Amino acid sequence: MQFELNYRPSHSLATAHLEPGETLRAEASAMVSMTRNLEVHTSFRGRPGAGFMQSLKRGFLGGESFFTNTFTAVSGKGHVSLAPKLCGDMVVHELTSSHELFIQGSGYVAAPDSVELDTRWQGFKGFLSGESLFFLRALGQGPVLINALGALETIDLDGELILDTGHLVAFTTGLEYEITKASAGWIDSFLSGEGFVLRIWGRGRLYVQSRNPAEYGKTLGHKLPARQQ
Amino acid sequence: MQHKIEHGPAFAWLRVQLAAGDSIRAEAGAMVMRTPDVQMETHLNAGYRPGIFRVIWAFFVALLRKLLGGETMFLNDFSTTGANGEVVLAPSLAGSIVHKRLQPGQRLFVQAGGYLASTGSLDTKVRFGGLRTLLGGEGLVLLECSGEGDLFVNSYGGITPIDVRGALTVDTGHIVAFDGTLDFKVGSVGGMKSLFLSGEGLVCRFFGQGTVYIQSRNVASLASWISPLLPG
Repeated sequence: MQFELNYRPSHSLATAHLEPGETLRAEASAMVSMTRNLEVHTSFRGRPGAGFMQSLKRGFLGGESFFTNTFTAVSGKGHVSLAPKLCGDMVVHELTSSHELFIQGSGYVAAPDSVELDTRWQGFKGFLSGESLFFLRALGQGPVLINALGALETIDLDGELILDTGHLVAFTTGLEYEITKASAGWIDSFLSGEGFVLRIWGRGRLYVQSRNPAEYGKTLGHKLPARQQ
Repeated sequence: MQHKIEHGPAFAWLRVQLAAGDSIRAEAGAMVMRTPDVQMETHLNAGYRPGIFRVIWAFFVALLRKLLGGETMFLNDFSTTGANGEVVLAPSLAGSIVHKRLQPGQRLFVQAGGYLASTGSLDTKVRFGGLRTLLGGEGLVLLECSGEGDLFVNSYGGITPIDVRGALTVDTGHIVAFDGTLDFKVGSVGGMKSLFLSGEGLVCRFFGQGTVYIQSRNVASLASWISPLLPG
């Protein structure tokens, strides 16, 4: 399966080229257009054999839709184009059996069925930050399509970095992280506007987005009329 | 200190290399990431004013700046003790960042909410573009920046610098910043009729010599387009 990316970085569009018999799984509502020979199934399932509870877990914890659409090329080659909800870039991460990829809530767009998706429970620490810190865990082999709000920076880290939680899109195994205060003191951390940050270290790849969805919404929200009760 | 503005014009961020002793000040919440040797210190957005009631005074100044100037109440200072720290800063909305080096005696007026970061002895004061601007609903609230240092201003949309020699008229919602050497007057495009019917709202007329930085989109227009689309 090949992904082709166009209109980067602001309004990126991805086209997945499927060989006969290949299957792509995409986030619900991501499909823009497709060839006629693609068979579409909508399912609860995060992976073959997974039940309703698992997809529910994915939906509520991962910030994802718990419906997944699968596209299978039934006679000959086919293609399907995909767009995320937000303005911004997309990249293809080549997943291999030597590592796994953890994708923050809304960062996942699509992957072939050779890639399994699972939710990794982050504990209550995630709630404190005010930003959902649940990750979809992608394992297996194949290209994984991820999206961002704004530009996407690929960082091959060998060391340590402090990162605003709202700017993290995905990271590979080899990297460890902890959620920590932005400053030395609690009061300063709160007032700084950064709240909680991620201290991330080790050796691996991470993807960072140049805009923070929560901050974007807050800034724009202040300019909109109050919601009527 | 070295800086680089990347990912512009749609989603620009500011990457700053800090050497020992360097420091940059940024609005609260702007940090994307930093290397572990960079320290962050938070304080009230109230300039440098000594005195016994300093803290109380600073609190009210900061509150005023937040409510009127569209600024954040707190600012963060980033500095390092190491040799090469790095911090990346980003505004919240889609858009660009423009850099301007201010010399002592030079002033730059920045549209409220446009301040991203600064270095050196740069200080900001809230200024109003006159009573009429507040009545128009598209209030022109400005930050007057003075002192010596680097100033980073963010916009909504792309930024175009325009050299004014004589006069220039700009929609108030499209102003990012302008030189203190320029005189300006806020008003409607034509008479009262044009204020309500032309769809242009208020404009700012600049006179003299200097640079005006304009942005290709207007946040107020975005908000008024999106509002009716929201569920009740």
